[in-house]
Amino acid sequence: MKSKSLKALQYAALLIFVLSIIRILTGASDLTSVGTASAALLLSVPIALAGLGGLFSERSGVVNIGLEGMMIMGAWAGGMIGSKHGPWIGLFAAVCFGSVGALLHAIATITFGVDHVVSGVAINIIAAGLVRYISTIFYKSGAWLGPSQSPDVTSIGTNGIPVLSGGTYFGWKSPDVLSVLAEKHWFFISDTAAVIRGLTGDLSYVTMIAMAMIPLSVFILWKTAFGLRLRSAGEAPIAAESLGVNVYAMKYAGVLISGGLAGLGGGFLAIVAANHYQENQVAGRGYIGLAALLFGNYRPGGILMGAGLFGFADALQLRDSASIHALILLIVLILLFLVVRDFRKGKALKAALTLAFASLSLWYFLAVDELPGQLVTMTPYITTLLVMAVASQRLRMPAADGIPYRRGGMQ
Amino acid sequence: MSVAVELRHISKRFPGVLANKDVSMSVETGTVHALVGENGAGKSTVMKILYGMQRPDSGEILVNGRAVHFKNPNDAIDASIGMVHQHFMLADNFTVLENIILGSEPKKGVTIDFAAAREKIVAMAAQYGLEIDPDVLVEALGVGQRQRVEILKVLYRGARILIFDEPTAVLVPQEVDDLFNALEGLREQGMAIIFISHKLDEVLRVADDVTVVRQGSTVAEVKSKDVTARQLAELMVGSELPQPSTQGVTRRDLVALSLNDVSILTSTGGRDLISHISFNLHAGEVVGIAGVEGNGQAELVEAILGLRDYTGSISFNGSAIDHLSVAHRHDLGIGFIPEDRQRQGLMMNSPLWENRILGHQRSKPVMRGFILDKKATITDTARIMAEFDVRAPGPHTLATALSGGNQQKFIVGREISKAPALLVASHPTRGVDVGAQGAIWEELRRAREKGMAIVLISADLEELIGMSDRLLVMLRGAVTAELDPAKTTPEQLGSAMTGAA
Ligand SMILES: Nc1ncnc2c1ncn2[C@@H]1O[C@H](COP(=O)(O)OP(=O)(O)OP(=O)(O)O)[C@@H](O)[C@H]1O
Ligand SMILES: [Mg+2]
Repeated sequence: MKSKSLKALQYAALLIFVLSIIRILTGASDLTSVGTASAALLLSVPIALAGLGGLFSERSGVVNIGLEGMMIMGAWAGGMIGSKHGPWIGLFAAVCFGSVGALLHAIATITFGVDHVVSGVAINIIAAGLVRYISTIFYKSGAWLGPSQSPDVTSIGTNGIPVLSGGTYFGWKSPDVLSVLAEKHWFFISDTAAVIRGLTGDLSYVTMIAMAMIPLSVFILWKTAFGLRLRSAGEAPIAAESLGVNVYAMKYAGVLISGGLAGLGGGFLAIVAANHYQENQVAGRGYIGLAALLFGNYRPGGILMGAGLFGFADALQLRDSASIHALILLIVLILLFLVVRDFRKGKALKAALTLAFASLSLWYFLAVDELPGQLVTMTPYITTLLVMAVASQRLRMPAADGIPYRRGGMQ
Repeated sequence: MSVAVELRHISKRFPGVLANKDVSMSVETGTVHALVGENGAGKSTVMKILYGMQRPDSGEILVNGRAVHFKNPNDAIDASIGMVHQHFMLADNFTVLENIILGSEPKKGVTIDFAAAREKIVAMAAQYGLEIDPDVLVEALGVGQRQRVEILKVLYRGARILIFDEPTAVLVPQEVDDLFNALEGLREQGMAIIFISHKLDEVLRVADDVTVVRQGSTVAEVKSKDVTARQLAELMVGSELPQPSTQGVTRRDLVALSLNDVSILTSTGGRDLISHISFNLHAGEVVGIAGVEGNGQAELVEAILGLRDYTGSISFNGSAIDHLSVAHRHDLGIGFIPEDRQRQGLMMNSPLWENRILGHQRSKPVMRGFILDKKATITDTARIMAEFDVRAPGPHTLATALSGGNQQKFIVGREISKAPALLVASHPTRGVDVGAQGAIWEELRRAREKGMAIVLISADLEELIGMSDRLLVMLRGAVTAELDPAKTTPEQLGSAMTGAA
């Protein structure tokens, strides 16, 4: 366990190092700026929460395409209730509403044996339609300014790590050493400082809670009896039941937790990332969370990586397109790394294909100075897709994931 | 001595079948009580009722003299009953330790106390001679070891009444001896053990009492010292014990299967899974592969079928098939009876007629041109069921509703019907009753006479010796001896398998 986190740290350092080189080469200073790092984090959080939600559900054996709908419910409840009763109660409502969506999914799939994908898609459609319908009623009654936007929610406070990244503690305003370092533009050192400052400074308390969910999920799923039982429901439900595990209860728990996390992700979008609910705010993040789940091979650490990758690409895209141009160079380097790895493993064909991709990207990088706007908005998706396609590992989904379960169907 | 379990007039109906009509038995503490009967007689069902997995329609269960009504296995576990199932109930992607503690996790605060669990498991394993590494994934284990996990699971829960549903079906003789030693130890500690088996000599060896069921009813309860295997067989099916044997030489000139220096290297860099295996198998010949589970037999089978990469070359009817896919080999005429019927042979939640298609999805009668011929498939399924005495309501019955032995008979029927030129048969009679065993042997004999080449893998040494023309002994991935079955006794074969000879 210890050596694993050490390895992760080494990889992170390596990544920043490579980014620093690219920054020097291309002059795209936003690649490692404080602002990019902090925006990347902000964009990653909802995806990570959705991914974690998917994790709990699928580990218990229920496929959850309905994450998107549960996020929509969460975002809407966050805006509606948060604008009236304050942000914290709004967040709580987001969690509750996400869970309500999940409860529907659970009843349909677990109790009535409806196909998981069908039920999930239905949840997505119902959620979008329902919130629109009720919003319109609010608008007609004059409580809302428009049918697609809630009144504003007051914002939740932020804080940082004392001494290092600013913030205030009991009235004491902490210095902000990392920001100072970041200003110096020293190779690698300033880059590292900026990234850490971006990830740890001016953090919303909700972000902190969300980030704590990652280790918490690992703890719950792999260290507690509850987690073992929940996972057994997704791996071998019949065996689990023969040992007295209440498989239905575990599946319900998994799906409800899933909805709570997705709802929190939605609430985060409305209350922290923005300051009101707006239609289409979720914009497919539930699906991207699912992609992060697969990317991360059904493990919390992997989900975080997937969400981070997407968040980073998204942040660059939003900030400036020069960095996106530089990002292509990063992709080239990553691909080259994979080429070497595959070649060493003797997978010549795969290595060759990846090499072709790499050359193509490099050519594009050299030939084009400014990316067309449409392509820029697409980059987060393309990056995620590309990395997922080539970094593919041995995917191991829970053995009984998606298979309807009937008690007593045992042989 | 006191009565640990008493079952009185248990009956249980499934849609279309009366699985238990009137089963009664009483098991004393400190004894091994065998339950025998034909495939589908209702043995597993009544044991699942005792273990709380099924509810009886009527009848009474008494545990230590008190009437009980189990709603689920939890209740049975609380009454210190444990069951080792006929078909393993393990999560492949969990470690041995996780599988054992699931549902009864030792806790330290809110977390699982893994250290305490590991300690307890290791101690228990040593005490009963069931050594195993608690931290490996179950998917990496062979059947013998999986069974150890199952037994440890039960003991871990402090069971005093242990049910073993056909535990020896998957074991080789050495493992059976180990198991019986473990059972002996458990009996001495005053546990009550219920033991189901189709191997009557084993039953007589290990059991004190025997209950015989036929078509869902108890027909006899006898002391094992008062009966012979022959008498038991007559009680069960009303017929005599069949003998595995083949007559004459039906070997032809054509070499059906030829292996040339075939090896499978491990990915982890340990010893090769199988190394430098070469042999020729002629049409009309049966070659028996003997070996203790996990010595490369499974890998050899996978190489022949094309499920695994290997070095060296394999040819079939004279031409190399190394570059051919599994499907292609199947189409050329290689049939396969897998060792694990539920994982490799059947789709448990599909009806039998859909299972008929499995592996035959490109040939008649399943296909007519490009179209699936459902009617013909169903008719053919009914034919297999009749010819191979598969007892189930009909082609539309789900595979999961068949008793273990009937599932096996169905697979054997499906594979033999295709009349493949080469049949790879892994434990073809595993779990089938003595009557059906005789029928399967007869089918194999007939196929051999017609020129089928057969690779026979079995843990049943008498079957191996009786059915084979030639025996190859595998040890640690290599063929270490070639024996003439006519001049080999089961004892000699057993010691060759362990490398003692
Ligand atoms: N879940 C089920 N649904 C429907 N029928 C079932 C079910 N389980 C068992 N049966 C039927 O009940 C009968 C008894 O089955 P059982 O599994 O108890 O037989 P068995 O004596 O254990 O046979 P074997 O020796 O082959 O394992 C069979 O006819 C079987 O088809
Ligand atoms: Mg049975």
